[in-house]
Amino acid sequence: MKGSLYTIGYAGVLGTLCALLLTGVASFTAPYKANNARVEEVLSILTALGIPHTPDDSAARLLEIFDASVRETQRGDSTIYIYASPDDEESPQAVAMRFAGPGLWGPIEGFLALEADRRTIRGLTFSRQEETPGLGGEIGASWFRDQFVGKTIVDRAAEPGISIGGEKGPNAVDAITGATMTCDKLEAILDGVIGKFVEERHEEQ
Amino acid sequence: MTLKDGVWTVNPLAIQILGICSALAVTSRLESSLVMGAALIFVCVGSNLFVSLLRKYTPHRIRMIAEVAIIATFVILFDQFLKAFYWDMSKQLGPYVGLIITNCIVMGRAEAFALQNPPLLSIVDGLANGLGYAGGLAIIGLVRELLGTGKIFGHTVLLEQWYTPNQLMILAPGAFFTLGVVIAVFNALRGPQDEEENK
Repeated sequence: MKGSLYTIGYAGVLGTLCALLLTGVASFTAPYKANNARVEEVLSILTALGIPHTPDDSAARLLEIFDASVRETQRGDSTIYIYASPDDEESPQAVAMRFAGPGLWGPIEGFLALEADRRTIRGLTFSRQEETPGLGGEIGASWFRDQFVGKTIVDRAAEPGISIGGEKGPNAVDAITGATMTCDKLEAILDGVIGKFVEERHEEQ
Repeated sequence: MTLKDGVWTVNPLAIQILGICSALAVTSRLESSLVMGAALIFVCVGSNLFVSLLRKYTPHRIRMIAEVAIIATFVILFDQFLKAFYWDMSKQLGPYVGLIITNCIVMGRAEAFALQNPPLLSIVDGLANGLGYAGGLAIIGLVRELLGTGKIFGHTVLLEQWYTPNQLMILAPGAFFTLGVVIAVFNALRGPQDEEENK
Protein backbone atom coordinates (compact mmCIF):
# COMPACT_ATOMS: atom_id res chain seq x y z
CA MET A 1 0.00 0.00 0.00
CA LYS A 2 2.77 2.37 0.97
CA GLY A 3 4.63 1.43 -2.25
CA SER A 4 1.58 2.20 -4.37
CA LEU A 5 1.08 5.54 -2.64
CA TYR A 6 4.66 6.51 -3.39
CA THR A 7 4.29 5.40 -7.01
CA ILE A 8 1.17 7.49 -7.47
CA GLY A 9 2.81 10.41 -5.72
CA TYR A 10 5.93 10.18 -7.89
CA ALA A 11 3.88 9.98 -11.07
CA GLY A 12 1.79 12.97 -10.01
CA VAL A 13 4.80 15.13 -9.15
CA LEU A 14 6.74 14.21 -12.31
CA GLY A 15 3.69 14.81 -14.50
CA THR A 16 2.96 18.15 -12.87
CA LEU A 17 6.55 19.38 -13.15
CA CYS A 18 6.80 18.41 -16.82
CA ALA A 19 3.46 20.06 -17.55
CA LEU A 20 4.46 23.26 -15.75
CA LEU A 21 7.76 23.46 -17.58
CA LEU A 22 6.16 22.97 -20.98
CA THR A 23 3.37 25.45 -20.22
CA GLY A 24 6.00 28.01 -19.31
CA VAL A 25 7.93 27.39 -22.52
CA ALA A 26 4.73 27.57 -24.58
CA SER A 27 3.80 30.94 -23.08
CA PHE A 28 7.30 32.24 -23.67
CA THR A 29 7.36 31.21 -27.31
CA ALA A 30 3.73 32.20 -28.04
CA PRO A 31 4.44 35.74 -29.34
CA TYR A 32 7.18 34.48 -31.65
CA LYS A 33 4.96 31.72 -33.00
CA ALA A 34 2.13 34.22 -33.51
CA ASN A 35 4.51 36.43 -35.51
CA ASN A 36 5.55 33.48 -37.66
CA ALA A 37 1.90 32.64 -38.29
CA ARG A 38 1.26 36.26 -39.32
CA VAL A 39 4.18 36.17 -41.78
CA GLU A 40 2.82 32.92 -43.26
CA GLU A 41 -0.57 34.56 -43.70
CA VAL A 42 0.98 37.64 -45.29
CA LEU A 43 2.98 35.44 -47.67
CA SER A 44 -0.20 33.62 -48.64
CA ILE A 45 -2.04 36.88 -49.32
CA LEU A 46 0.85 38.36 -51.31
CA THR A 47 1.09 35.22 -53.44
CA ALA A 48 -2.66 35.08 -54.05
CA LEU A 49 -2.79 38.74 -55.04
CA GLY A 50 0.23 38.31 -57.29
CA ILE A 51 2.19 41.06 -55.56
CA PRO A 52 5.87 40.74 -56.47
CA HIS A 53 8.11 39.30 -53.81
CA THR A 54 11.04 36.89 -53.86
CA PRO A 55 11.59 33.69 -51.86
CA ASP A 56 14.65 35.29 -50.27
CA ASP A 57 12.67 38.12 -48.73
CA SER A 58 13.01 38.24 -44.99
CA ALA A 59 9.99 38.28 -42.73
CA ALA A 60 10.43 42.00 -42.10
CA ARG A 61 10.59 42.73 -45.83
CA LEU A 62 7.41 40.73 -46.48
CA LEU A 63 5.55 42.68 -43.80
CA GLU A 64 6.89 45.87 -45.36
CA ILE A 65 5.60 44.94 -48.81
CA PHE A 66 2.27 43.94 -47.30
CA ASP A 67 1.86 47.20 -45.39
CA ALA A 68 2.76 49.25 -48.45
CA SER A 69 0.50 47.55 -50.99
CA VAL A 70 -2.39 45.92 -49.16
CA ARG A 71 -5.23 47.51 -47.29
CA GLU A 72 -7.35 45.47 -44.90
CA THR A 73 -10.99 46.48 -44.65
CA GLN A 74 -13.98 44.99 -42.93
CA ARG A 75 -16.99 44.16 -44.98
CA GLY A 76 -19.82 42.73 -43.01
CA ASP A 77 -18.15 40.34 -40.64
CA SER A 78 -15.30 39.38 -42.93
CA THR A 79 -12.01 41.00 -43.73
CA ILE A 80 -11.02 41.62 -47.29
CA TYR A 81 -7.60 42.60 -48.54
CA ILE A 82 -7.40 45.21 -51.24
CA TYR A 83 -4.35 45.50 -53.43
CA ALA A 84 -4.02 49.04 -54.68
CA SER A 85 -0.88 50.84 -55.75
CA PRO A 86 -0.30 53.73 -53.27
CA ASP A 87 -0.72 56.44 -55.92
CA ASP A 88 -3.99 55.09 -57.27
CA GLU A 89 -6.08 54.02 -54.31
CA GLU A 90 -9.43 54.54 -55.96
CA SER A 91 -9.11 51.75 -58.51
CA PRO A 92 -7.81 48.65 -56.78
CA GLN A 93 -6.07 46.02 -58.89
CA ALA A 94 -7.16 43.02 -56.90
CA VAL A 95 -9.12 41.87 -53.90
CA ALA A 96 -8.43 38.88 -51.68
CA MET A 97 -10.54 37.12 -49.12
CA ARG A 98 -9.81 34.36 -46.66
CA PHE A 99 -11.61 31.05 -46.85
CA ALA A 100 -11.67 28.44 -44.13
CA GLY A 101 -13.62 25.29 -43.54
CA PRO A 102 -13.45 21.58 -42.83
CA GLY A 103 -11.45 19.41 -45.17
CA LEU A 104 -11.32 15.64 -45.03
CA TRP A 105 -8.71 15.27 -42.29
CA GLY A 106 -8.45 18.78 -40.92
CA PRO A 107 -9.18 22.44 -41.61
CA ILE A 108 -8.50 23.92 -45.03
CA GLU A 109 -7.60 27.61 -44.97
CA GLY A 110 -6.36 29.93 -47.65
CA PHE A 111 -6.93 33.03 -49.69
CA LEU A 112 -8.91 33.60 -52.87
CA ALA A 113 -7.92 36.66 -54.90
CA LEU A 114 -10.07 38.27 -57.55
CA GLU A 115 -9.17 40.73 -60.29
CA ALA A 116 -10.46 44.30 -60.32
CA ASP A 117 -13.70 43.19 -61.98
CA ARG A 118 -14.46 41.14 -58.84
CA ARG A 119 -15.46 38.18 -61.01
CA THR A 120 -12.27 36.71 -62.43
CA ILE A 121 -9.97 34.75 -60.18
CA ARG A 122 -6.46 36.13 -59.87
CA GLY A 123 -4.99 33.55 -57.55
CA LEU A 124 -5.62 30.89 -54.96
CA THR A 125 -3.31 29.92 -52.11
CA PHE A 126 -3.59 27.57 -49.19
CA SER A 127 -2.15 28.60 -45.83
CA ARG A 128 -3.21 25.40 -44.15
CA GLN A 129 -4.38 21.98 -45.22
CA GLU A 130 -3.90 18.50 -43.82
CA GLU A 131 -5.23 16.39 -46.67
CA THR A 132 -3.78 13.05 -47.75
CA PRO A 133 -0.29 13.63 -49.16
CA GLY A 134 -0.16 12.73 -52.83
CA LEU A 135 -3.94 12.71 -53.20
CA GLY A 136 -6.01 15.41 -51.48
CA GLY A 137 -2.76 17.12 -50.55
CA GLU A 138 -2.23 17.91 -54.21
CA ILE A 139 -4.65 20.82 -53.84
CA GLY A 140 -1.60 22.70 -52.59
CA ALA A 141 0.36 21.86 -55.73
CA SER A 142 0.86 24.68 -58.23
CA TRP A 143 -0.76 22.77 -61.11
CA PHE A 144 -4.05 22.56 -59.20
CA ARG A 145 -4.02 26.14 -57.95
CA ASP A 146 -2.99 27.56 -61.33
CA GLN A 147 -6.16 26.11 -62.87
CA PHE A 148 -8.19 28.69 -60.99
CA VAL A 149 -6.34 31.66 -62.48
CA GLY A 150 -8.58 33.25 -65.10
CA LYS A 151 -11.70 31.33 -64.10
CA THR A 152 -14.77 33.24 -62.94
CA ILE A 153 -16.62 32.89 -59.70
CA VAL A 154 -19.98 32.79 -61.50
CA ASP A 155 -21.14 30.25 -64.04
CA ARG A 156 -22.76 30.90 -67.44
CA ALA A 157 -26.09 31.61 -65.77
CA ALA A 158 -24.42 34.15 -63.47
CA GLU A 159 -24.92 31.86 -60.47
CA PRO A 160 -22.09 32.25 -57.97
CA GLY A 161 -19.94 29.23 -57.26
CA ILE A 162 -17.01 27.14 -58.35
CA SER A 163 -17.23 23.71 -59.90
CA ILE A 164 -14.42 21.27 -59.18
CA GLY A 165 -14.65 18.25 -61.44
CA GLY A 166 -18.08 19.03 -62.81
CA GLU A 167 -19.21 20.20 -66.23
CA LYS A 168 -16.73 22.31 -68.12
CA GLY A 169 -17.42 26.01 -67.94
CA PRO A 170 -15.99 29.40 -67.07
CA ASN A 171 -16.07 28.52 -63.39
CA ALA A 172 -14.99 24.89 -63.61
CA VAL A 173 -11.64 23.28 -62.87
CA ASP A 174 -10.45 19.68 -62.94
CA ALA A 175 -10.71 17.65 -59.78
CA ILE A 176 -8.01 15.27 -58.51
CA THR A 177 -8.42 11.57 -59.15
CA GLY A 178 -8.50 9.71 -55.86
CA ALA A 179 -9.31 12.87 -53.91
CA THR A 180 -13.05 13.15 -54.48
CA MET A 181 -13.92 13.98 -50.90
CA THR A 182 -11.24 16.63 -50.54
CA CYS A 183 -12.37 18.27 -53.79
CA ASP A 184 -16.00 18.18 -52.70
CA LYS A 185 -15.15 19.76 -49.37
CA LEU A 186 -12.98 22.40 -51.02
CA GLU A 187 -15.78 23.20 -53.47
CA ALA A 188 -18.18 23.65 -50.57
CA ILE A 189 -15.77 25.95 -48.75
CA LEU A 190 -15.13 28.09 -51.84
CA ASP A 191 -18.84 28.24 -52.71
CA GLY A 192 -19.51 29.45 -49.20
CA VAL A 193 -17.05 32.31 -49.32
CA ILE A 194 -17.95 33.25 -52.91
CA GLY A 195 -21.65 33.23 -52.12
CA LYS A 196 -21.09 35.51 -49.17
CA PHE A 197 -18.86 37.85 -51.19
CA VAL A 198 -21.38 38.18 -54.04
CA GLU A 199 -24.23 38.72 -51.59
CA GLU A 200 -22.37 41.49 -49.78
CA ARG A 201 -21.54 43.16 -53.09
CA HIS A 202 -25.24 43.22 -54.04
CA GLU A 203 -26.05 44.75 -50.68
CA GLU A 204 -23.45 47.44 -51.29
CA GLN A 205 -25.01 48.29 -54.67
CA MET B 1 29.31 3.69 -23.45
CA THR B 2 32.37 5.70 -24.39
CA LEU B 3 32.44 8.40 -27.05
CA LYS B 4 34.33 6.11 -29.41
CA ASP B 5 31.75 3.38 -28.94
CA GLY B 6 28.83 5.67 -29.64
CA VAL B 7 30.32 7.31 -32.69
CA TRP B 8 32.10 4.33 -34.20
CA THR B 9 32.13 0.86 -32.72
CA VAL B 10 28.44 0.66 -31.85
CA ASN B 11 27.11 3.55 -33.95
CA PRO B 12 23.34 3.62 -33.35
CA LEU B 13 22.49 4.29 -36.98
CA ALA B 14 24.98 2.16 -38.89
CA ILE B 15 25.67 -0.68 -36.48
CA GLN B 16 22.64 -0.91 -34.21
CA ILE B 17 20.32 0.13 -37.09
CA LEU B 18 18.17 2.42 -34.96
CA GLY B 19 16.47 5.71 -35.83
CA ILE B 20 16.22 4.77 -39.50
CA CYS B 21 12.88 6.48 -40.20
CA SER B 22 14.10 9.98 -39.50
CA ALA B 23 17.45 9.24 -41.11
CA LEU B 24 15.64 8.65 -44.38
CA ALA B 25 13.08 11.43 -44.07
CA VAL B 26 15.02 14.55 -43.12
CA THR B 27 18.33 13.98 -44.91
CA SER B 28 17.39 15.42 -48.30
CA ARG B 29 19.33 18.52 -47.25
CA LEU B 30 22.45 18.86 -45.11
CA GLU B 31 21.05 21.71 -43.03
CA SER B 32 17.98 19.76 -41.88
CA SER B 33 20.16 16.73 -41.17
CA LEU B 34 22.33 18.79 -38.84
CA VAL B 35 19.35 20.35 -37.04
CA MET B 36 17.82 16.91 -36.57
CA GLY B 37 21.13 15.59 -35.25
CA ALA B 38 21.34 18.50 -32.83
CA ALA B 39 17.78 17.79 -31.69
CA LEU B 40 18.61 14.19 -30.93
CA ILE B 41 21.81 15.08 -29.06
CA PHE B 42 19.87 17.59 -26.96
CA VAL B 43 17.12 15.10 -26.17
CA CYS B 44 19.41 12.14 -25.57
CA VAL B 45 21.75 14.04 -23.23
CA GLY B 46 18.90 15.75 -21.39
CA SER B 47 16.79 12.66 -20.91
CA ASN B 48 19.79 10.51 -19.96
CA LEU B 49 20.79 13.10 -17.36
CA PHE B 50 17.39 13.37 -15.72
CA VAL B 51 16.61 9.66 -15.87
CA SER B 52 19.95 9.06 -14.20
CA LEU B 53 19.37 11.73 -11.54
CA LEU B 54 15.98 10.21 -10.70
CA ARG B 55 17.07 6.58 -10.97
CA LYS B 56 17.01 5.91 -7.22
CA TYR B 57 13.59 7.48 -6.77
CA THR B 58 11.76 6.05 -9.76
CA PRO B 59 9.52 3.11 -8.88
CA HIS B 60 10.46 0.12 -11.01
CA ARG B 61 6.91 -0.53 -12.20
CA ILE B 62 6.45 2.87 -13.86
CA ARG B 63 10.04 3.43 -14.95
CA MET B 64 9.25 3.30 -18.67
CA ILE B 65 6.37 5.76 -18.42
CA ALA B 66 8.59 8.08 -16.43
CA GLU B 67 11.30 7.79 -19.09
CA VAL B 68 8.84 8.63 -21.84
CA ALA B 69 7.55 11.62 -19.89
CA ILE B 70 11.06 13.00 -19.50
CA ILE B 71 11.97 12.32 -23.14
CA ALA B 72 8.73 13.90 -24.35
CA THR B 73 9.39 17.02 -22.26
CA PHE B 74 12.78 17.54 -23.89
CA VAL B 75 11.47 16.88 -27.37
CA ILE B 76 8.61 19.34 -26.99
CA LEU B 77 11.02 21.91 -25.54
CA PHE B 78 13.21 21.68 -28.64
CA ASP B 79 10.18 21.65 -30.94
CA GLN B 80 8.73 24.81 -29.37
CA PHE B 81 12.01 26.69 -29.70
CA LEU B 82 12.33 25.57 -33.30
CA LYS B 83 8.79 26.75 -34.08
CA ALA B 84 9.48 30.10 -32.46
CA PHE B 85 13.00 30.91 -33.65
CA TYR B 86 13.71 28.74 -36.69
CA TRP B 87 10.30 28.48 -38.31
CA ASP B 88 11.47 27.58 -41.83
CA MET B 89 13.42 24.62 -40.51
CA SER B 90 10.45 23.56 -38.39
CA LYS B 91 8.30 23.44 -41.52
CA GLN B 92 10.96 21.43 -43.36
CA LEU B 93 11.40 18.88 -40.57
CA GLY B 94 7.63 18.61 -40.15
CA PRO B 95 6.53 15.86 -37.75
CA TYR B 96 9.99 14.32 -37.43
CA VAL B 97 11.11 16.43 -34.49
CA GLY B 98 8.07 15.26 -32.53
CA LEU B 99 8.79 11.69 -33.60
CA ILE B 100 12.09 11.77 -31.70
CA ILE B 101 9.95 10.71 -28.73
CA THR B 102 9.51 7.37 -30.48
CA ASN B 103 13.16 7.13 -31.54
CA CYS B 104 14.54 3.86 -30.24
CA ILE B 105 17.96 5.35 -29.58
CA VAL B 106 16.73 7.75 -26.91
CA MET B 107 14.45 5.33 -25.09
CA GLY B 108 16.98 2.55 -25.47
CA ARG B 109 19.80 4.47 -23.82
CA ALA B 110 17.54 5.72 -21.02
CA GLU B 111 16.40 2.22 -20.16
CA ALA B 112 19.63 0.34 -20.80
CA PHE B 113 22.16 2.78 -19.41
CA ALA B 114 20.88 5.91 -17.67
CA LEU B 115 18.67 3.97 -15.31
CA GLN B 116 21.67 2.08 -13.88
CA ASN B 117 24.49 4.59 -14.09
CA PRO B 118 25.52 7.89 -12.46
CA PRO B 119 24.67 11.21 -14.17
CA LEU B 120 28.10 12.07 -15.58
CA LEU B 121 28.50 8.71 -17.33
CA SER B 122 24.92 9.02 -18.59
CA ILE B 123 25.67 12.41 -20.11
CA VAL B 124 28.65 10.95 -21.97
CA ASP B 125 26.53 8.03 -23.13
CA GLY B 126 23.82 10.36 -24.41
CA LEU B 127 26.39 12.53 -26.14
CA ALA B 128 28.12 9.50 -27.68
CA ASN B 129 24.96 8.04 -29.17
CA GLY B 130 23.69 11.44 -30.23
CA LEU B 131 26.93 12.24 -32.02
CA GLY B 132 26.94 8.82 -33.69
CA TYR B 133 23.44 9.41 -35.00
CA ALA B 134 24.14 13.02 -35.99
CA GLY B 135 27.34 11.99 -37.76
CA GLY B 136 25.52 9.33 -39.75
CA LEU B 137 22.79 11.79 -40.65
CA ALA B 138 25.32 14.41 -41.70
CA ILE B 139 27.05 12.00 -44.07
CA ILE B 140 23.77 10.92 -45.65
CA GLY B 141 22.54 14.51 -45.87
CA LEU B 142 25.77 15.69 -47.49
CA VAL B 143 25.72 12.93 -50.11
CA ARG B 144 22.04 13.38 -50.92
CA GLU B 145 22.15 17.15 -51.22
CA LEU B 146 25.40 17.18 -53.17
CA LEU B 147 24.46 14.50 -55.65
CA GLY B 148 20.77 15.38 -55.71
CA THR B 149 21.01 19.13 -56.26
CA GLY B 150 24.71 19.90 -56.71
CA LYS B 151 24.54 22.20 -53.68
CA ILE B 152 25.75 22.23 -50.10
CA PHE B 153 23.73 24.37 -47.66
CA GLY B 154 21.91 25.75 -50.67
CA HIS B 155 25.06 27.04 -52.36
CA THR B 156 25.89 25.50 -55.71
CA VAL B 157 29.11 23.53 -55.54
CA LEU B 158 28.83 21.25 -58.55
CA LEU B 159 28.29 23.64 -61.44
CA GLU B 160 25.38 23.01 -63.76
CA GLN B 161 27.65 23.04 -66.81
CA TRP B 162 29.25 19.74 -66.07
CA TYR B 163 27.02 18.10 -63.43
CA THR B 164 23.38 17.21 -63.99
CA PRO B 165 21.75 16.80 -60.56
CA ASN B 166 20.53 13.28 -59.90
CA GLN B 167 16.96 13.89 -58.73
CA LEU B 168 16.67 10.32 -57.47
CA MET B 169 19.00 11.19 -54.59
CA ILE B 170 16.52 13.63 -53.02
CA LEU B 171 13.68 11.16 -53.30
CA ALA B 172 13.05 8.13 -51.12
CA PRO B 173 15.07 5.60 -53.18
CA GLY B 174 18.14 7.81 -52.95
CA ALA B 175 17.79 7.85 -49.17
CA PHE B 176 17.66 4.07 -48.99
CA PHE B 177 20.64 3.61 -51.31
CA THR B 178 22.78 6.11 -49.39
CA LEU B 179 21.87 4.66 -46.01
CA GLY B 180 22.65 1.16 -47.27
CA VAL B 181 26.07 2.23 -48.48
CA VAL B 182 26.80 4.03 -45.19
CA ILE B 183 25.89 0.92 -43.20
CA ALA B 184 28.00 -1.26 -45.48
CA VAL B 185 31.04 1.02 -45.29
CA PHE B 186 30.80 1.38 -41.49
CA ASN B 187 30.62 -2.37 -41.02
CA ALA B 188 33.42 -3.08 -43.47
CA LEU B 189 35.81 -0.50 -41.96
CA ARG B 190 34.99 -1.40 -38.40
CA GLY B 191 35.68 -5.05 -38.98
CA PRO B 192 34.29 -7.92 -36.92
CA GLN B 193 34.31 -6.65 -33.31
CA ASP B 194 32.25 -9.38 -31.63
CA GLU B 195 34.77 -12.11 -32.20
CA GLU B 196 37.52 -10.17 -30.45
CA GLU B 197 35.27 -9.50 -27.46
CA ASN B 198 34.38 -13.17 -27.11
CA LYS B 199 38.01 -14.28 -26.73
